[in-house]
Amino acid sequence: MKRFLAALAGLALLAGLPAAASAADADSITVTAPTVRLMPPSAMATAAFMVLHNGSDKDIKLIKAASPVAKVAELHTHINEGGVMKMRPVPAIDIKAKGETQLKPGGLHVMLINLNHPLKEGEKVAITLGFEDGSSKEIEAPVAKMMPMPMPMNHMAPAK
Amino acid sequence: MPSRLTLILVLLLALTVVGLALFWQPGSPGTSDEPTGGDFVLRSADGPVDTSAMRGKVLLIYFGYTYCPDICPTTLAALSQTLNRLTPDEQAEVKTLFVSVDPARDTPQRLKDYVGFFQSSIIGVTGTPKEIARAARMYGAVYSRHDIPNDSNYVVDHSAWTYLVAPDGHLAGRLPYGATPAQMLTEIRKWLPSSTKKGTS
Repeated sequence: MKRFLAALAGLALLAGLPAAASAADADSITVTAPTVRLMPPSAMATAAFMVLHNGSDKDIKLIKAASPVAKVAELHTHINEGGVMKMRPVPAIDIKAKGETQLKPGGLHVMLINLNHPLKEGEKVAITLGFEDGSSKEIEAPVAKMMPMPMPMNHMAPAK
Repeated sequence: MPSRLTLILVLLLALTVVGLALFWQPGSPGTSDEPTGGDFVLRSADGPVDTSAMRGKVLLIYFGYTYCPDICPTTLAALSQTLNRLTPDEQAEVKTLFVSVDPARDTPQRLKDYVGFFQSSIIGVTGTPKEIARAARMYGAVYSRHDIPNDSNYVVDHSAWTYLVAPDGHLAGRLPYGATPAQMLTEIRKWLPSSTKKGTS
């Protein structure tokens, strides 16, 4: 595990070299409220949510993610088409200059697919976020029960 | 030459019109118009579940699947909070069904474990693909399998409404994805036999 992380860090360093002149994307991004959704033990997949803040003057793209708890980690979004929620991979998640992007239920998220073991409440999941310039950032996201956040709702649609 | 190009264009246009006429199905998929609801019998881990036996109660129906990583858990968590806020008497007047749109992977036991994680009173049900298609059609719910490249798993796109059936069995309305427990509670209480009685006396 340590060796794996070291290798990851090494790769990230190598990849980050060409961009050494300006600040690496990963250094401009701060991550708040990282959370992995606690799922029933039989679940094969879960999602990680967080808020990405971009402190720099340029737009930054998150282009990949990885986690030791899952065989595959993908960037996903949901498209609501007439009440049908369609989950789809996205090539990148944009974080505007001096802006923030929310990864939240029903929207953008990091999808952790084929979990290596059932995740327990409170467990800390390491997630490596990879940015367009090749830099990367490792975060720790605790596994937690996700409760619905207040969201605007249109009035209940009539059945007819 | 120009006339030949025109002819080709006209032919293309004609083909498009014919194609649309053949394949265009108003109201599907995604916007099944005017669903009326209706009764169905599906299987749970604890035996058959017949919605016609639930007259006199408010029935909440959600179509989803257990491999669903985000949308179903979000809705189930909201439903769970909503049900917890009802008084015990009110809880006895509400039944909640989670209908699988993925019968190939969702066994009754798997469904029970999944929905039980959120709320033990929610009943997970499944059936043959035909039975599920019939139930979904009655409520205007749509779903379709979507394969993920480089992955043996697949996701199922599905309607994310929670359907609300009144105690007399008619489809009273549907709650959108993202409805808060407070909003759900308001809609449910409008139809609860006990609150209706209170309102009229």
